Amino acid sequence: MTDLNRRDFLKLGLTAGSLMALGKGSHLLSNGSGKIDTETKVIILGLDGLDPHLMNMFMAQGKLPSFSRLRSQGDFKPLRTSDPPQSPVAWSNFITGMNPGGHGIFDFIHRNPETYIPAFSGTKSEGSLKTITFGNTVFPLSGGEIINLRKGKAFWQILEDHDIPATVFKMPANYPPVPSKQRTLSGMGTPELQLGHPNRFHYFTTEGAEINQDLGGGQVHDVYVIGNRVETALPGPVNMFKKDQPESQIEFQVYIDPVHPVAKIQIQDHVFILNKGEWSDWKKVRFKMIPTQSVSGICKFYLQHVGPGSIKLYVSSINIDPEDPALPISTPNSYVKELGKKFGSFHTKGFPAESAALDHGIFDESEFLALEDVVLKERKEMLDYELSRFDSGLLFYYVSSTDERQHMFWRLMDKQHPMYDQKLAEEYGKTIENIYIEADKFVDKALEKTDKDTILMVMSDHGFTSYRRSFNLNTWLKENGYHSLVNPWKAGDVGFDNTEWARTKAYALGINSLYINQKGREAEGIVNSGTEMDNLVYEIARKLEEFTDPESGEKPVLKANISKEIYQGSYSNTAPDLIIGYNRGYRASWATPLGQIPENILEDNKQKWSGDHCMASEVIPGIIFTNKKITAEAPALYDLTATILEVFGIEKPKDMIGNSIF
Amino acid sequence: MWIFNTIIGTIFKILFLPFQNMSPWIGMIFVSLLTGLLMLFIYKYTSNQEGIRKIKNKIKAHLLELRLYKDSLSISFKAQGSILRANLKYIGYSSKPLLVMIIPVILILIQLNFWFAYDSLKPNQSTLLRVQLNDGVPLLDTQVEIKAGSGIVLETPPLRITDSNEINWRIRAEENGVHKIIITADGLDYTKSISVGQKDLSRISPLRTRKNFFREISYPTESPLPKNAPIKTIEISYPPRTMNFFGLNLHWLIAYFALSIIIGFSLKGFFKVDI
Repeated sequence: MTDLNRRDFLKLGLTAGSLMALGKGSHLLSNGSGKIDTETKVIILGLDGLDPHLMNMFMAQGKLPSFSRLRSQGDFKPLRTSDPPQSPVAWSNFITGMNPGGHGIFDFIHRNPETYIPAFSGTKSEGSLKTITFGNTVFPLSGGEIINLRKGKAFWQILEDHDIPATVFKMPANYPPVPSKQRTLSGMGTPELQLGHPNRFHYFTTEGAEINQDLGGGQVHDVYVIGNRVETALPGPVNMFKKDQPESQIEFQVYIDPVHPVAKIQIQDHVFILNKGEWSDWKKVRFKMIPTQSVSGICKFYLQHVGPGSIKLYVSSINIDPEDPALPISTPNSYVKELGKKFGSFHTKGFPAESAALDHGIFDESEFLALEDVVLKERKEMLDYELSRFDSGLLFYYVSSTDERQHMFWRLMDKQHPMYDQKLAEEYGKTIENIYIEADKFVDKALEKTDKDTILMVMSDHGFTSYRRSFNLNTWLKENGYHSLVNPWKAGDVGFDNTEWARTKAYALGINSLYINQKGREAEGIVNSGTEMDNLVYEIARKLEEFTDPESGEKPVLKANISKEIYQGSYSNTAPDLIIGYNRGYRASWATPLGQIPENILEDNKQKWSGDHCMASEVIPGIIFTNKKITAEAPALYDLTATILEVFGIEKPKDMIGNSIF
Repeated sequence: MWIFNTIIGTIFKILFLPFQNMSPWIGMIFVSLLTGLLMLFIYKYTSNQEGIRKIKNKIKAHLLELRLYKDSLSISFKAQGSILRANLKYIGYSSKPLLVMIIPVILILIQLNFWFAYDSLKPNQSTLLRVQLNDGVPLLDTQVEIKAGSGIVLETPPLRITDSNEINWRIRAEENGVHKIIITADGLDYTKSISVGQKDLSRISPLRTRKNFFREISYPTESPLPKNAPIKTIEISYPPRTMNFFGLNLHWLIAYFALSIIIGFSLKGFFKVDI
C-alpha cells in the first residue's frame, strides 16, 4: 500500500494485478447480443457529473441549444442521486435499479473488519492457486480471476434474457464487465496496465531536484544527458512470473539536439521525433515477463521541455491495449478489439484524464486540457460510430470529461475557493462552461438519431459543487473521544497504524463511510451490538450535524445518515454504520478514506481537485432530460432502470426498488 | 552496378505490372511460382540426377534394413552408419545446385524485399528522415539542409546525433505520389524519393546509399550517391508490411519460402526432377 494515497486510491483498479499475466478473466464470451428488432429504441447518454444548477444557468443563457430542444420535446428534472453520491455507488444504483443495500457498493473504499485494512469496493482478484516454481520463475497452472463485486443483475443482462440487444459503452462501475453477450465496454474502475499504481504517469527529467518526487499519481525519474543521449527505462506491470515479483520495464533512449528544441525517442520498434511541447500518438509497448509471455500496453509521450543538457519527458499512464487486451474489459472479448481495429489505440482506463499531473504541477492547465481534448475527440468519434449502427434495443453511451473537468477547474469559477487565481481564471474560468457546451454537442448527435420510436434520455449520476474545505473525520472522532491513539502526539497514518483499538469506538474509512468498532464484527471491537451500538450511532450522527466550522460558521455535515434507515436489500448488513453527507463546500479530506488522522479537523483544500460531489445527496442531484414527459415528481437513478424495463415491456424484478419515471 | 540494378529492377517491374492493383498475395504466388520453377530447373540441370536417385534409394533400403533387423544391434548400427554416409553423399550431390542457386536467389530476395517488406506512407502520415554522414565528416560543422518538395512537409528542425554522425528530421507526406526531397550538403544537392499512397504492390525505396558494392547490391532501388558525397545514406522509415493470412500476420519471407517450396515440390514430378 506504500504507493497508494489520496484520490488515486479512489480511482484505482487496485485489484487484479496478478491476473494480467496469469489469466484473461472469467468469461470468454461468444460474439453476439439480443436478436429482437425492437420497435421502440432507447438511447441513454450518461454525462458524468452534469449539475442541474449549472445546466439551468447555461440553458437560460442560451448556451445549450440541444439540451433546451430536448427539454422542450419532453422534460428536464433534477435526478436524485445515491447515498453517498459517489460515482461507483451512483452508477451501481442505475445499473441494478437498487440502492447500495441491494448491490453492495457503499463507497469507493470498503474495509475488512478483521484487519481494518481498506479495500477497493468494486473488484477482487484471485491469482492462480496452482503454480510450479523453477528457480526464480513461477509458472501458473491455472488462470486467475477478477471478480466484479457488485451484486444484482445489470439491466442489459435482463434485456438479454428477453433477447433485446444492447450496447453499453464505458459503463462506470462495471469492471470487469459482468457476463453478457451484449456489447459492453467497462468504464470507470477499469485499471491501467500498472495495476496497484492507478493513473501512474512517468516523468523523466534532468531537473528532478526541483520537484517533489513523492507524487501519489506518478513517478519522477531522474535522468542524465550524456553526450546528447539519455538512457532510461519505462516501468511496467509487476512480473508475476518471477518469485520476487519485480517491476517489468522497457529500456529506451532519447536523443537531443545540441541546439534545436527537438528530441528523438527510441523505444522497442518505435523511433519518433517530437518537437518541444508536442505529444506523440499512441505507442504500443510490450513488457516481457518470461520468454513466452509478454503484456501489451499503450502510452503517449509528451516532450515538455528540451534544451542543451536538459529534458522533461512525460509518459502517460499505460493503458490496456484495445487490440490486445491483457485484462477483460469488454463483452464479448472481441468488442474492444473491434473498436481498436476501427479507431486504433484509444483511452481504455477508467479515468482517462491525467489529473494527477495537473494536481502536482507537472502539467499546467493548457497541457492538461490538450490531452483531455484528445479523450473528448475519441468519445465523439466513437459515439458517431455507435449511433450509426444503432437500430434496435438500447444504446448507453458514457462521457467522463464532464466529470473530470469539473473536478479540476471548479477553483477557477469559484472566487471563494482557496485555490482561486484571478489570472488563471481569466484564461480558464470558462472551462466548465465549455465542457457543458461540448456535452450539448453529444446531445445534438443523439437527437439527430432520435426518431418517433426512440426514447432519448440524457442523465448524470450526480451534480457538482465546490470543494473548499476538507473535513478530517477520524480527527473529529479522536477529538470527540471516539477514536484513541497509541501515541497521542503522533498523527495516525494509512491503515490506522497508530490506533488503539481497545479504546476506539468508531473509525472512518472511505469518503463518506463511518463504522462503529463493533464487538463480534470488527476484530478488536468494543461496542456491543443492540442498544449500545444504536445509541452510539445516533449520538455521533447528532454531534456531527451540530459541529460548526469555526472559520466560516457553517456546518460541514449536512446530514449523517444512519445506514439501516436508508438502505434496503440483502447486503444492508454489510453497510457502513453512518453515511456522512457533507454540506456544500465541504468534503472528507484526502486523509480520511485510508484512515489517516491528521492534526486538524478542518483545513482548506489547497489542491487543484477543487470541484466534487461526495457531499450529501440532497445538495448534489444529477440531471435527467428526456424527449418524453416525466410524471415522477422526484425521479431517482434507480427509477431509470425500472423505466428502461418498462419501455421494453419487461416486468421489473422484485428486488428493484425504482419505478418508471413516465 | 547501377546499370545491373536497373536491369534487374526493370525485370521485376515488368513481372509485377499486371498485379499492381491486386492483393499482394497474387504477386507473391506468381513470383513464388516463377522462382519455384527456376529452382527446379537449376536443380535438374546442375545436379547429378542419377546419383541423387540412387542415393535416395540406398537411404530407403537402409531405413528398411533398420526396421527389419531392429533386434540386431550390429546390423542396426551398420545401417545407421550407411545412412549417415549416404546422407553426406546426398548433401554433396545437392551442394552444386545450391551453390548455383544461391546468387540468383539472393538477388531475387533483395528485389522482393522492396516490393513486400514496406508499405508506402499514407497521406498525412509522419515519418523519420535520416541522413547519415560519412565517417570523418564533422556533423556539427557541416551545413546540411533539407528542401521538401510539394506533397512533403518538414515538421521538425534537424536533430543531430553525434554518436552515429546522423541528422534526423520528421517529415509528413501530404499528397499521394512519388515525391522527391532534396538534401543539400556542403552546397551540393542530393535527392531521395518518397512514396506516398502507392498501390498495394509497388516498389518502395527506404534507403539511398553512397557508392559501395555491397550496399548497392543491398539497396538497388535508387542510383547511388556519388562516391565523394559527404552523405553515406539517406533513409526514410516506411511502415513495415506483413502478409495477412487468415488473420495471421506473416513476414513476406515466410510466405515466399513456403509458397516456393510447396510449388517446387508439387511440380517436381511433372518436370521429372529428383530432389
